[in-house]
Parts: sequence; structure tokens; C-alpha cells
Amino acid sequence: MESPQDIPAVQELVRAQSRIRVRGGGSKSALAAEANVSLAGLSGMVQYDASEFTFTALAGTPVREVAEQLARHGQYLPFEPPLADDGATLGGTVAAGLSGSARYRYGGVRDFLLGVRLVDGRGELVRGGGNVVKNVAGFDLPKLMVGSLGRFGVVVELSFKVFPAPERTSTILAEFGHLDTAMAAVDRMATSPFDLMCLDVEPPNRLWIRIGGIGDALHARLARLTSLLEMSDARIGMFADDAEIWQDVSQFRWARENANLVKIPLVPSEVPRLEARIARWNGEVTRRYGVGGTVAYLAWSEPTVREGLESTLAAAHRSSLALWGDWPDPRLGPSTDNAMSDRLAAALDPQGKFAIAAAVAAPPGS
Amino acid sequence: MLHEIPVERIGPAGQVMADAVGTCVHCGFCLPTCPTYDALGEEMDSPRGRIFLMKEVLEGNLPIDEAVPYIDRCLGCVGCVTSCPSGVEYGELLTPFRATAEQVRKRSPFDRLLRRFVLETLPYPRRFRLAALLGRLARPLRRLVPGRMGDMLGLLPARIPPSERLPEVFPHQGQRRARVALLVGCAQQVLAPEINWATIRVLSVNGVEVVIPRGQTCCGALAAHTGAAWQARRFARANLAAFPDDVDAILTNAAGCGSGMHEYPLWLAGQPEEDAARRFAGRCQDVSKFLDELGLQPPPALAEPLRVAYHDACHLAHAQRVRDQPRRLLRSIGNIELVEIPRGELCCGSAGTYNIEQPEIAHQLGSEKARSILWTGCQAVATGNIGCMTQLATHLELEERPLPVYHTMQLLDMAYRVEHGASNGVPGPETSEAATASATAE
Amino acid sequence: MPFNELLSDLAALYPSDRLLTAAAQIMPYESDGLTAFRGRPSGVVLPVTADEVVETVRLCHRHDVPFMARGSGTSLSGGSVPVPDGLVIGLNRLNRILRYDPLHRVAVVEPGVINLRVSEHVAADGLYYAPDPSSGPVCTIGGNVAFNSGGVHCLKYGMTANHVLGLKCVLPDGEVVTLGGESLETVGPDLIGMFAGSEGLFGIALEITLRLLPRPEVYRTFLAAYDTLSAAGDAVSMVVASGLLPGAMEIMDRLAIDAAEAAVNAGYPADAQAVFLVELEGPREEVAAEEVRLMKLLDDSGATEIRVAKDDAERLTFWKGRKSAFSAVGRLSPDFIVQDGVVPRSRLGEALGEIERLSQEFGIRVANVFHAGDGNLHPLIMYDGRVAGALENAERLAGEILRLCIRMGGSITGEHGVGLEKRAYLGEMYEAADTRTMFAIRDAIDPKSLANRGKMLPDAEAPALASHGAHPLEQQGVISRM
Repeated sequence: MESPQDIPAVQELVRAQSRIRVRGGGSKSALAAEANVSLAGLSGMVQYDASEFTFTALAGTPVREVAEQLARHGQYLPFEPPLADDGATLGGTVAAGLSGSARYRYGGVRDFLLGVRLVDGRGELVRGGGNVVKNVAGFDLPKLMVGSLGRFGVVVELSFKVFPAPERTSTILAEFGHLDTAMAAVDRMATSPFDLMCLDVEPPNRLWIRIGGIGDALHARLARLTSLLEMSDARIGMFADDAEIWQDVSQFRWARENANLVKIPLVPSEVPRLEARIARWNGEVTRRYGVGGTVAYLAWSEPTVREGLESTLAAAHRSSLALWGDWPDPRLGPSTDNAMSDRLAAALDPQGKFAIAAAVAAPPGS
Repeated sequence: MLHEIPVERIGPAGQVMADAVGTCVHCGFCLPTCPTYDALGEEMDSPRGRIFLMKEVLEGNLPIDEAVPYIDRCLGCVGCVTSCPSGVEYGELLTPFRATAEQVRKRSPFDRLLRRFVLETLPYPRRFRLAALLGRLARPLRRLVPGRMGDMLGLLPARIPPSERLPEVFPHQGQRRARVALLVGCAQQVLAPEINWATIRVLSVNGVEVVIPRGQTCCGALAAHTGAAWQARRFARANLAAFPDDVDAILTNAAGCGSGMHEYPLWLAGQPEEDAARRFAGRCQDVSKFLDELGLQPPPALAEPLRVAYHDACHLAHAQRVRDQPRRLLRSIGNIELVEIPRGELCCGSAGTYNIEQPEIAHQLGSEKARSILWTGCQAVATGNIGCMTQLATHLELEERPLPVYHTMQLLDMAYRVEHGASNGVPGPETSEAATASATAE
Repeated sequence: MPFNELLSDLAALYPSDRLLTAAAQIMPYESDGLTAFRGRPSGVVLPVTADEVVETVRLCHRHDVPFMARGSGTSLSGGSVPVPDGLVIGLNRLNRILRYDPLHRVAVVEPGVINLRVSEHVAADGLYYAPDPSSGPVCTIGGNVAFNSGGVHCLKYGMTANHVLGLKCVLPDGEVVTLGGESLETVGPDLIGMFAGSEGLFGIALEITLRLLPRPEVYRTFLAAYDTLSAAGDAVSMVVASGLLPGAMEIMDRLAIDAAEAAVNAGYPADAQAVFLVELEGPREEVAAEEVRLMKLLDDSGATEIRVAKDDAERLTFWKGRKSAFSAVGRLSPDFIVQDGVVPRSRLGEALGEIERLSQEFGIRVANVFHAGDGNLHPLIMYDGRVAGALENAERLAGEILRLCIRMGGSITGEHGVGLEKRAYLGEMYEAADTRTMFAIRDAIDPKSLANRGKMLPDAEAPALASHGAHPLEQQGVISRM
């Protein structure tokens, strides 16, 4: 494992080697398995001006470190990057395209990334975007990096915008008689102007709702929300001190005993259908549906589950990403590659040094 | 927008036209309010595109005949003037341009004949009435009559009302608050004389003495907007002479006529009467604006609740910027619930002789407007222009949802008559029926 | 003649009323919202189906004819000035809302759908489409995607790219790709984000899946007047530092106020040197609590007058003045250039002072309208194109302002795009390796450089710094000025 300590060292590595797969903190084991380069040494804030509400940091900077610095100025990354306690880094978060439950309110990692510097397949250091909050000059390379799994280059530095953190937060746990009534409540919440931070579904029948804002207003907002939920016969629990609840969610604490964890994007109406399919798989699967039922996280240990997962993904034509576990290629289901991504890869990585799985490391566009 | 229009060579209207071009910044804010752009979705059928074309023609870069088809398709609704943030006076470019084009363009013999027929008939009530009656007789033959002549027949109303001579002076009731002269319109007199009667009764109830000058003619808008500048000037001069000075205002109750009379200074630019025209135009106003400013005697409530959609006539709303006044008048009538028509700024497609010249687009716009009106769930429509009234009535009927279409004055008249009773010695035909069929007139 | 060959193929595809080649038909397409540039296409087609668009692109590729997709032609960067002698693909008739799902809050639209129509279409369900460029009643979603358009409400909700969930598009060689889907979440590289803002260089969006938001329960819109522009700038800093997150923060200076007043009678204060518009939005309790804090801030900020929109009508009037401001400057000056630079928002005051100094140095009036919360400046540089040298002088001033933004660590464009106008400055903002990469990407996606050729990327033969005086394209004789 190479561990470059500065950007020129990364460029040198890329020029010298025929194959580069990068890892950050290793918090998403399925993505780090093949890595031969660690960016852990490329860590630290490069620039942070609190009055500007933006920061620039090296790719290997742990998100926890960033969160702590931001918190000192009452600021936060509103998509709350997951797995901070496991050492998740900014670069890894971007490469995985992973956002936390709070992406529900203001958007995900793609919506807050302003600029990147990356080393392309020729070993050139390339900048895309900038570090001001608005900038449409040139192609939006930062967005291309989100979810790219390092396919187009080694991201070495990132700039983000941040928001003022809510003064106070509170969480409601609503328990319904049935998943269907819980999902109906999700639809109602999602189309109402309650300005929720998080809206997660925990099968079989629980809804987790978080709101944040000015302390004085929180009580009245909670009262309105709960009365609406009670109308649909939910049993309500309230948590004024909710930091730990969401930290556990961010750490996938509910999935910890399992070897495998995958992320599947979907739309809320697909949740009951997926639940029905999972019930027919061979093995125990723990689930959570985040962001108003637009993403499923499934966790399991028994190897027999894989077959059911793969056939479901194929049937539903859903692409998916493995986060934990031992996978030859973490990209599951139908490929997300197409003519556009192939051509972009050819432009940025003509020799195919960053191809994601060794088995498919043929030059792009061939 | 930078231009190289040879202002001096073009004549009196040159500077006005060049100014309109120069003010345009090509931002496109006019596009959504242009009915032809809405219908056709192409740049040369938009205000911005037409300004560009007229500029190119005036600069000598484009033969006028190539531009004219797109200029012809313009309804002259000037909805674009309302939506223009830069203040382009589109109408001041369009009218002189059409006059210029008319002098040099080539028209087919049939076109010339049709045009001559329209210009020699519509502005003259007696000729129009005769033609309309003959047309009614010919209506069963419509299918046998080709093209646009057939379209014209289709627009004639089901019934040509009997003509009833309007008095020269109509007395005010109660204390006299004002004395006005009224332009009674040409086609309006033939197709819906009750509008004039309603207008003078409403004015009278409000203490306004109404003079109807005998020597008045057509306002000339029809001629001016189709490029017949010479005829337009003749009408304008006649009206300058006919209307008296000893009145508080010169009133119009047809939007097209009102906006036409406001354009007299433009038509007579460089002529000896230019100054007189400017003073005259300054005294002209729509009856709804006049009554709104005068202060209405509170009208009694209608006997039954009525949900009314108010339709902005382009030549009232856009050309004369009279939008709130008629709404305020209508709202003052008890039992009327006034509703807005979605995308109300779009023209209904009537626009003078447009129905004859561009029947397909006129039809498309009329249908759109009728559907928008029906969407409001209204029971009746109110507007301030005879042309719109006939167009709306026709297309509501085509949608198989006929609704009564009233002039604003007719609804006020109805309200006042609830109190006074129809037998209160008030002469003239009643608003027994609203417009239910169509004709082509402003 | 490649175009003549293309033409005969197009004639088989389009009826004559949708294939425009006569002078009077194509002349009006020569320009967009930036009239300093013109380009005469050889023809214009008006497709009514996505298949026609795809087939047209394939034909252009086969015959090597450059093409440009055009919506309403409102670009302020020359982004929709036709490629000279190329084909314009007018998308105005592809204006259907194909699918609308209120429950999942998505709408699938064709590229010619007008921005504001989306919000109107979904309003009855309490939803709206957030990006609101000032030209919202005019501009199309396809154009918004191509240029990643912003608006006055970007501060909280981002730009167009942040609200597009899925795209079906045709690449410059006619290959059709589908990107994203209907979910908020995705896996795989964010190709939608890459396509958005590519200024038409990656091809044409055929179907766009938009994310809709629940309309905020309440809006509270404040108008504060100031004696000086810098005082208004300081007020923005105070609001930002306070931890409030308004939906929009806008400033207009005296000249811009004059223009807007003349255009729409927004009722802005008659004697103020600057007007600061702030909008809070959200759940009613939250907004009420925020309002108390904001009012105190505005009181402390030295505002000479503070107004709160009393109803929705007044709120719209406040905004109408702001949104008309660009075009309204047409009342103050026959010609003007709108700039779109971005500076770090904590350095707004400094940037405005410098623009004022440059304005005096050049002897050119500059009106300022800007998205203060984002640091996105819109200096309106006024000139009279009939005066010899005036445009060149104005362009030099515009260039100095862009360089100022670059020096301060900002951007040459926040939301209008590079287009034709600012391509010479792209190479000043980015290093050589960065622009080389952009060229490499363009060449990989579109080896023949057919899609909106000449926009965003400075041509190899026109070096980045050669923008003084006549525009590079003008020097080559491919465009001319109006």
C-alpha cells in the first residue's frame, strides 16, 4: 500500500503505476478492498473562513475532523456524511457518493461540493469548479467525481459550502400498525411544508422524523407534526436530546452485526414491493429506508442472500452499491456505465489506470 | 439594440420607429405574452423577431416582401408592450411599418379585392349593415364560397338587430357632474347597438350629459392597422372636426376605437393637424376609466348572484393600460363575483380584420381563450370591446358551452335597471341578450 | 456543400413549415439576449418529437454540420448565438409535460417547457420547481439545464443541476443515453451534474426529470433601504453571520432601482442608494422566530427604511422590480453588457468599491444588481453602441471586472455561463492543465466539435488572452455585431 504525503507524490504514483485504486479511511470496506494507494496521509484543512461558509480540505481529511471544526463556528455539512466514527474521509464520501439521512432537507454531497483538484490518468493536476458558492465556468468536474468510485482520477482536494447548523433539533418516532400506513405517512410528510431534516423508515412499521431550527419555534412545530401523525393512528415518541439517535443511524449501528451492506436508490412506492421480495430471499436481511423512502440500505451475513438480491436488482432494473463486504466489484445490478461515462473515462484516464474492478480493467471505450 | 436605420430617409415616422428598435434589448420577455408566438413557437412570429425583421427591412438588408408575411400575422394586440421591461413602443413601430409596407408590397388580385371590400364596408355602418344583411342571406351558401370569403360569412351574427337612431344629446339624471362626447363606433352600431344605449344610460344615471356628434366617422383604427394610412388619416381629420371642444372628455366604449384615437398624433405626424391630434388624443378615454375616476353612483345588486370572468381587451389593457378600472366598476355591483382568466394577457384572436386575414391562427387563439374562460367556472363574461365579444361568443359556442358575453357597460346598466325598472322612461333597447354570435369588428 | 446535403435529408424529415431556410425566417434567430453578437445559421428546424431531434443530430453528424439547440434565446452570455452556417434546432414546440407525479414530487418535461410553467402546473398540489431565473416566464428548462441556470433563490436550494434527477439526452453523434432516474439518491458517477452546465457541448436534453419541492408554508419578504451601497453590503454580511438562512438576498443600487421603477413601478424607496431584499421562507413558526431576529439585524444595520411585504401581491411586486431590472436598464441606456462574476461573499463590499472605481476610471455608468447572499455580482455596463469605440471600451471594463473576480478567488460566471462572451477569460480563471482537460473531455464526447461549437471553450486559434478589441470570432469574420 502506497501512502503519498503530498499532491506531487500522488502525481508521481499515477505516472509510475499502471493501476491505481485509492482508499481513504476504509470505512466502506467493499470499496477499499482492492486499494493499492491510501490517501490517509493527505489530510487537513487547507482553508476555512467561517464568515464565508466554505472550506477547502485535502481528500484524506476525516469527516469527523471537519465536522468538529465546523461545529466550533455553528456550521455543518447539511448532508451529514456517514461513518464518521469509522474514519470516513471527505474523498471517500465523494467517491462513494454517500450522504446521510439529513440530505433530505437541503440535498446530498453533490449539492454541496463546489470544487475539486484531481490527478488525472496522465498524472496531471486538474482543477474543476472553484471555492465560491456559485460558479458555472467550465465543465462541472466536481459533480462528475460524486459516486465515481475514483474512476476518473484521484481526487486530492475538495471545496464545500456549508450551512449554519440548526440551533436545536428534535426527533419524533412514530409507530404505525403496518408498513403501508407508515409509507402513507411518508407521502404526506413529503408533500407538506414541514421542512423536515430527516425522514427515515425503519421496517416493519416505524418512522423517524427529525426537525431542526430556532429553539423558540421547535415546540410549536413538533406539536403540529405530532397531531398530524396521531390522526393516522401512530404511537408517538419524542426525543429532545436526539444527537445519539442520528449518530447511530449515521454509523449504520442497526446493521453492525452484518457482514454486508448495500445501498439501493428507489422511489417510495417501491418500498413495499422490495419488502415483499426480500421476504422471499433465502436468509435474514436487516433494512432501513432513508431520505423519505428514496434509498434502501440492506444488511445481511448469510451468503445465500446474494442470489435473491441479484435477481431482484436485475428484475427491477436497479443499480446498487455495496458498502461493506467482500465483492469482486462493488457495483451491483445493471451497470451505470454508458456512452457518456465511457467517453469521459477515455478523456481523463486514457490508459484505464483507474478502472474499478480488475476483471473489467480493459481500456474504456473498447 | 444597435441599428443603422436611415431615419431621415424614412420620413416623419422614422425617428419613432428607430427609437422602438433602439430600445429593444432582445431579452425575450415579450415572448410569453405574444399570442402568435404562443400558437406557432417560432422566432419570426414573436415581437422580438418582428422588431428584428422590421429593423432589417428598414436598414435595407431584407426585401420587404419576405418580411411581410410575419408582420401580417401580428395581431397588433400590443401585449408585448405591457410585458416589455425596456419600454419598447412596439405599436409605434408596427403601424408606420405596415403603412410603408402597404405602399410597396405585392398583393394578389383576390387579396386586393377582399381588402378593398373590407375597408370600404366595415367602417361605414350603413354599408356594413347592408352587407351583413346580404351576408346573412348568403350564409346557407357558405360551403360553396371559397376560402376567406366563406370564413367571413361564418362570422356574421345570427341576427342583425334593427337600427335605432341614437339621440344627438342624451340628458343627465340628477345633478350634472360632467358633459361628454361619445364615439359610437361603426361595426358596433350594426352588430350590437344595445352597447351604446347601455353606455349612455349608465352615464346618464351618473349625472353625465352625453353628446353624440353627428359628423363623427369610424375612428380609422381598422384602416391604420392594416396599413391603409391614407384612409386612416381621412377618418382622423373628420373626427377632429366633428367632436366639440366644450365637453369634459371624449369617450369610447370599444377598446379598438379608443386606442385608435390615441394614435391620431402618430397617424398625423408631420401633418398640419399633428398638434390638434395630440390635444384630441389627450382628451380621449375609455368610458370605464372615465366612470372610475368620476366615482360611480353605487349600483344596486343584481337579482341573482353571477360569477363573471373579466376578459382584458388588448386595446384596453395593453394599448390604453386600462385594467383595474373596469374591474373596480364590476366589483361595485352587488352579487357579481369577478374571476380572473388564466393567462389573461393573451389576445383572444379577434383583433380587427384578423379573423379574415389569418383565420387559422384566429381560430386557434379563440379556442384557447374559450377553454381558459371555461376553466374559471364562470357563468358570464365581461369585456370592453365588441370584437372580443363576438369572438368569445363564437368560440364558447364552438366549445358547446355558450355563455353570455357582456360589455362592462351592459352589466352596469342591468344593475341600475334593477332599481329603476325598465319602464322608467329610459329609452333604447335593453340588454335582453348578450352577444351570442360573432362578427368582425373592433 | 455539407449543408446542402444535410438540407435534402432534412427535407425528408420535416415539412416545409418546420424547416426554415428563407432569410426572413432565419434572421430572427441570429441573436439571443446578448445582442452584441450575431451568427447567421444556414437553417432552423422545429422538431415536434424527441425522435426528430435525435434524427436531426444524427444527420448533422453524418454531414459534419455544426448544430445548436435553442430554447427561448434568452442567454446573456451569447450561449444561444447560432454557430455560423450551422443548423439551429428550435425546441420550442417540444413543450409538453410528459409526466407529473405529485406524490413522488417529480415532473418529466420536454426541453422546450417554459421554466415558470412547471411551477404553475404543479401549484395546485402545493408544489413548485425551485430554480427561478429572472427570465423564468420566458426561458426553457432545456436551456436552464444546458447552462445550469440559477436565480434569486439559489442561496438555499442551489441551481438547476441540483433539481434535475434524470435526463434522457442525445450525444453529439446521435447516441441516446439515459442518466439518473426519479430517485433523490443515485449510485454511479453524477453524469447529470456533468451534463448540466455543459452549454450544449454534450448534446441535447430530450427529457428532463425535475425534482419538485413542497411550497414553503409562508414567505416573509423584507425590503430595507440604505444611504450607501456599502451599508447594504454590510447588512448582508450581518445576516449571513447571524446563522439565518434566508431563501434569497438581493441588492440593487440606485441606477438599477431607477430602471426597475421606470419599468414596473415596484414602489422602491425614491431616495435610497441601495435596496436590500431578503426573503424568509418555511414553516410559519420558524419564519416568525426568524423574523424577530432579522428585524433586529436590519434595525441595527442602519437601514433608513424597512418594509415587509404585507401580502403575496406585494411580495410579487418587490420581486418583479428585481426580476425586470436587467431589461429595464434598456430604459437608461441603448446598449449594455450584463456581467455575472462571483466573489467570496465576505468580500462583496471590497468588490463593489473596486467596480465603482473602475466605472469612474472608464467613464462608464455601471448599475449593480446582485445575488448578495451568493456573492454573485451583475454589473450592468451601459454604453451607446452608435458611439465609435463605446462597445470596445465597455468590453474592456467588463474584462477588468472579470479579472477582479478572478483575483479575489471567485468566478467569471455564477449562472449565465461562459457562452461566447467570456470564453477568452476561462483560461485566466483556470490553469492550462484545467482547460486542456476540458478540451480533452469535449473531444472525447464530440470529436467533430459539432454541438454548439465555439461556446465555452476558447478555440485553439483564438488564444485565451486575445479578447481585447474585437472579439476573436469577429476577427475571424464569423460573427458580426448588431
